[in-house]
Amino acid sequence: MSTPLAAQPVLRLQNLTRVHGSGATEVHALRGIDLDVHPGELVAVMGPSGSGKSTLLTIAGGLDTPTSGQVVVEGTDITTAGVKELAALRRRSVGYVFQDYNLIPALTAAENVSLPRELDGMSARKARVEALAALEEMGLGHLADRFPDEMSGGQQQRVAIARALVGDRRLVLADEPTGALDSETGESVLALLRARCDAGAAGVLVTHEPRFAAWADRVVFLRDGAIVDQTVRSEADSLLTGRVAEA
Amino acid sequence: MSIRHGLLALLEHGPRYGSQLRTEFESRTGSTWPLNVGQVYTTLGRLERDGLVAQNGEDGAGHALYAITDAGRTELRTWFERPVDRTSPARDELAIKLAMAVGAPGVDIREVIQSQRRHTVKAMQDYTRLKAQALTALEGTGSRERDDIAWLLVLEQLIFQTEAEARWLDHCESRLIRLSATAPPPTAAAHAPASERGPGNTGARPGPGAGTGGGGVGAGSGVAPGGRAEGRAR
Amino acid sequence: MKTWFHSWRAAIRIARRDAWRAKGRSSLVLAMIALPILGVSAADLTIRSSELSVTERLERSIGAADAAFRDPGFGGVPVHQSPDGDNVYPAKEPADNEPWPSGSTDPGKVIPDGARWITDTQGAAKLTTVHGLLQTDVRELKTDDPMARGITTLLDGHHPRKADEVIATSAFLEKSGLSVGSTVSARNFDRPYRIVGSYELPDELDTAQITALPGAFLAPYGKAAEKAGALAPGSTTSYLVQRPGGFTWNDVQAINAKGVSVASRAVRLDPPADSEVPLYQQEGWGDFRSSDGADAMLLASLATVVGLAMLEICLLAGPAFAVGARRSRRQLGLVGANGGSRSHIRAIVLSGGLVIGVSAAVVGTVLALVLTLVLQPFLEDFMGQRFGAFDVRPLELLGIALLAVLTGLLAAIVPAVTASRQTVLASLTGRRGVRSTSKVLPVVGLIALLLGAAIALYGSVVTDQFAIVAGGSAIAELGVVAMTPAIVGLFGRVGRWLPLSPRLALRDAVRNRGRTAPAVAAVLAAVAGTVAVATYTSSSDAQYRAEYTASLPHGAVSFFQMEEGGRDVPAVADAVQRYFSVETRADVSRVAVGKPGCPAWGGGDGCGQYELMLPPANECPMWAATADGSDPSEKFTPEQRRKLLREDWRCKETSGGGGVYVDGGLLVGDDRLLKVLGIDDPGAVRALADGKAVVLSRPLVDKDGTIGIKQVTDLKAAEQASMARKPSPGKVSRIPAHLVSGDPKSYGLQVLMTPAAAKAAGLATVPVGAYFSTDALPSSEQRQKLDAELAGLGAGVDLTVEEGYVSDDSIFLLALTVFAGLVTIGAAGIATGLAQADAEADLKTLAAVGAPPRVRRTLSGFQCGVVAAMGVVLGSLAGLLPAMGLRLTEEREQIRFHEQILAEGWGSDLTPPYVPIVIPWETLAALLVVVPLGAALLAALVTRSKGAVARREAT
Repeated sequence: MSTPLAAQPVLRLQNLTRVHGSGATEVHALRGIDLDVHPGELVAVMGPSGSGKSTLLTIAGGLDTPTSGQVVVEGTDITTAGVKELAALRRRSVGYVFQDYNLIPALTAAENVSLPRELDGMSARKARVEALAALEEMGLGHLADRFPDEMSGGQQQRVAIARALVGDRRLVLADEPTGALDSETGESVLALLRARCDAGAAGVLVTHEPRFAAWADRVVFLRDGAIVDQTVRSEADSLLTGRVAEA
Repeated sequence: MSIRHGLLALLEHGPRYGSQLRTEFESRTGSTWPLNVGQVYTTLGRLERDGLVAQNGEDGAGHALYAITDAGRTELRTWFERPVDRTSPARDELAIKLAMAVGAPGVDIREVIQSQRRHTVKAMQDYTRLKAQALTALEGTGSRERDDIAWLLVLEQLIFQTEAEARWLDHCESRLIRLSATAPPPTAAAHAPASERGPGNTGARPGPGAGTGGGGVGAGSGVAPGGRAEGRAR
Repeated sequence: MKTWFHSWRAAIRIARRDAWRAKGRSSLVLAMIALPILGVSAADLTIRSSELSVTERLERSIGAADAAFRDPGFGGVPVHQSPDGDNVYPAKEPADNEPWPSGSTDPGKVIPDGARWITDTQGAAKLTTVHGLLQTDVRELKTDDPMARGITTLLDGHHPRKADEVIATSAFLEKSGLSVGSTVSARNFDRPYRIVGSYELPDELDTAQITALPGAFLAPYGKAAEKAGALAPGSTTSYLVQRPGGFTWNDVQAINAKGVSVASRAVRLDPPADSEVPLYQQEGWGDFRSSDGADAMLLASLATVVGLAMLEICLLAGPAFAVGARRSRRQLGLVGANGGSRSHIRAIVLSGGLVIGVSAAVVGTVLALVLTLVLQPFLEDFMGQRFGAFDVRPLELLGIALLAVLTGLLAAIVPAVTASRQTVLASLTGRRGVRSTSKVLPVVGLIALLLGAAIALYGSVVTDQFAIVAGGSAIAELGVVAMTPAIVGLFGRVGRWLPLSPRLALRDAVRNRGRTAPAVAAVLAAVAGTVAVATYTSSSDAQYRAEYTASLPHGAVSFFQMEEGGRDVPAVADAVQRYFSVETRADVSRVAVGKPGCPAWGGGDGCGQYELMLPPANECPMWAATADGSDPSEKFTPEQRRKLLREDWRCKETSGGGGVYVDGGLLVGDDRLLKVLGIDDPGAVRALADGKAVVLSRPLVDKDGTIGIKQVTDLKAAEQASMARKPSPGKVSRIPAHLVSGDPKSYGLQVLMTPAAAKAAGLATVPVGAYFSTDALPSSEQRQKLDAELAGLGAGVDLTVEEGYVSDDSIFLLALTVFAGLVTIGAAGIATGLAQADAEADLKTLAAVGAPPRVRRTLSGFQCGVVAAMGVVLGSLAGLLPAMGLRLTEEREQIRFHEQILAEGWGSDLTPPYVPIVIPWETLAALLVVVPLGAALLAALVTRSKGAVARREAT
């Protein structure tokens, strides 16, 4: 359970600011964010709407660029990277999971998972083998040849997580992945995310539901574009040790 | 949680002695509401007085066994059928604390809220981790043991209750922000600029349960589940 | 390279599945691209298959023989020929005043010894059929001879074995209503022939022909016809010759020296170099061969048409791909979030074009192959010839198919670039807004417009070259197309004071230029072309109407029938009277010289002709023959010529030809003809009764008030006399004449006399036709009935019904308008579909704020209407200008021509040429009003008015 933290974080945000617009319409979406996410760690970002949660996530994956500050993914500073390098980064290092419609309707589950690899130039056959392995590992092997509209919402989200982590990628950026799901199904998605992080991936989860944020190792509270507080990773396993000791 | 009815429910399965009842109670509720043996015997005494249980011999080791009476079964049935009464809301320390903090000089109410929220979420994280373990255990062994399922349900009750609290805190905060934005004179509750408080500050104020382990966490969590349960029960 | 390939494969997979998911849209675009490909491929297959190899062609013309010896009709003088034997020319060109050598020679004389030969004789006869008579080719050929194999294909029955057996082409059987086993006979010839088989000529499926054994039909028929007073039909005989070793080019030239032309198999298969062909060395020969310039012109215009068609398809299909890209915007955003770079996004949208293009290519080519194979018999009938081998040229078909792929890709380019320009974030969040359009395109368009206009202006002002005007207009047109996005922007300003639905539609169209512009451009291009052509044709039409010369008074009918001495004239006249509502019937005859069966134009043994004599004093000095053969008009200055033409009655051009097919306009009839022609001169009627000739051309009347008619019996002598500029020999009859006063319209009639007067003057007459006045214009039905009846007579009847000017291009204009309308509705519909896909959110909002459901309908109706309206308005403007330019160029050219004529003194007409510009208001109105309205109504009708609210509740 308590994976030793590797020396180098998978994602490091340093003094990140993002300003939308200018002049009278200037909006500070992020103000001086510092955040490290290590392998094996799932970090939840909470905050009221408009606090900058989603902006943080889009910048972390290179979908948006910060006004100032640094984004370091797997040791590489991506702040100055061009459009092409950012696309390559998303193929090789970062996986996204959005609230809904994560899968490309024209592709089967396996093809969706193998998409980043194929875009990266891997042969269709090899990519499929890899994708099938990933799906199998996450207990989704039976969905491999289904199209998205033949899957439930929870299944789609889990396939999306599989896609986010296929290949060498070990950073998942999830933006309200449970938003369109019911409580029970949302839990299964988070359980999978939790399991992947326990297996060594790093995850950033944006949510406004405390119940889902509670799956994280660390919860970061964002308000007005700044981190105001965070729960520190506890040393102990449980606040209810009596039972655990018994088990 | 009503201890009276909890003990009655346990006795329904057959005669038990005092410390046995304590162990079973804690195992069912995941040590959420710790009992001491004295509490158990006091309660058993009251139950006997009301004719709901009766002494029923001793076991091999010489423990005095208690058994449920017919009146006790009727009482238990009535208790199960009756919804939990909400007409007299639980006295909640947190609610009282926030009510007092509004307008109190020198108190940053948002600080109060945030530190409470951190604590609440932290508690939830712990519950969730336990739940994840329970889920793994249930799925791993494939057993559908009554105790494990009961434990899971209790954990989830805790999670949902804590979540409700976290949401309520969120709501309080945004309501306060709205009011402070519209209220012309800045009072003591005026919110401090967020940027002044970096994440480094948070380390300086460790939550009460952060460093402590064991049962103390549950007791000092501020959730005070036991106390609330008591207050709700008749 | 490999990487590139793999990521494209992923793109194509997505595109393929998307195309399959959006079946309706895909099949629409596919059909749009595949149809022209189908047409062009099928045409290519048909043309290639019907193009015969040399061997196939030889087999159809000379069968299995080594050569065909033919009589070129030059009387046996040495000739030069082209290697294929189709062009033959006397070796020594006759001098100016020498007669052209003519006459027949017998090719049989020059057939070398030891060669085997058969004859192939062709003539004609009128054969009796179920319906009446049918003019039919008659051939005499031993069709079952091995040498004749391939010339005919026997379909049914057997080859003729006896003299009274013939075989007939299926075309003849069909036209005549006869069948194998029937008997057939010719007019004037009572010997019956039995049809024992049917056959076809592989190259001429439509030809009605019968074939008998050599000597079995034409010779006895000719004798019988002559006996009956008719002219013996001419016939030509060629010889199919077989000789070991065949005939080389040297052999052919040796035979040419004896006046016979040869189509030789050996020469055709191995043609001599041009330098070895004396004919090609002859002066002026090059003029007859098609020049490379003409080919280049054809190629250029073909390329232009194909290019414009592709542009139009691209413009139409482009929005469809844009709809696809827009609909799957979130999907493209997801690809971006998963590491798809811009090139990947482009690849996916382009793959859409590729997938559709390739499918269209496959579908079009396969369908073309299947259709051509299945429809081969019909195509052969349509072209009137059997295919050779079914000729599939893979390279050509591949090239045509590539056009489809190219079209698909081109159509998807703009949507692909647009889609790839969007940021991933915007695609994911579905944020909308004004998409900035390219700034370069309008500038390029403006440059093209100015350049094209300048070229067109230069063409019309400086050079009078149509090609330059048209090319400049085309460039300017393309410029306008490129400027469409910018122009569409201007329309947005109109919207402020419109009611809600149209305002919303207009704003939406203007804000989303990316999808509006291609659709508007497609409409613009189609409408501009239509308006340009329509304006040009209706202007020309007005010009032709103004220039039209009636050949008879309005509503009058005339016919001439000259074969066999007008034997069928009474029958035809009766038929006309039966089917048309005739008021007055005036039978007319012509003067015949020689035997009554002689043709009207002279020629034939014992046949002569007559001349209306022009008194020398009445001859226009400009045309009068001079003794030395110089041009008499050169003696006058242009000013004098103009004066002569204008003022001297002798030089006046005879007015209004047409209608009369008789030499010199001399007809024999009575005063009813004057009535039919509307010549109101009581003096003329009296003159006719007095036995005088009524004359409508003043120069014919000599000083003594008579006209002279000369009968020429010896045509040879007449020709020689004319060469020597001497009057031809012949007997002259003089007849007192009455000149009609007041210069009425004569419709080609110059002299009219009664039969009695003609007889008195010693002129023989034969019936030639009749004139009728009607009290109602014959309806189409009446005409068809009459035509059927006349066909039964098998007579060559020249029937004229004067209906006034009949424009033949109204159907053409209608077809053009319908085409432009369809393109408009299609393009506007596609754009509307696109707008609908975009506007779903707006519609939900509208529904949520309480807009009634019909707003959804009216909005989509207006969206469609707005696109159509913008397109037709711009297109009409863009189309009117080049048409006007072309007309102005034409006017300039005609005026220059007119001025030249005036300056040279060749014309007396001082009124400048009439080259009007007529705007086709009906077409314009249909395009400007009806088409947008129709498009709007259609869009409103097919849009569901429900659907918005339910979806909102679900989310």
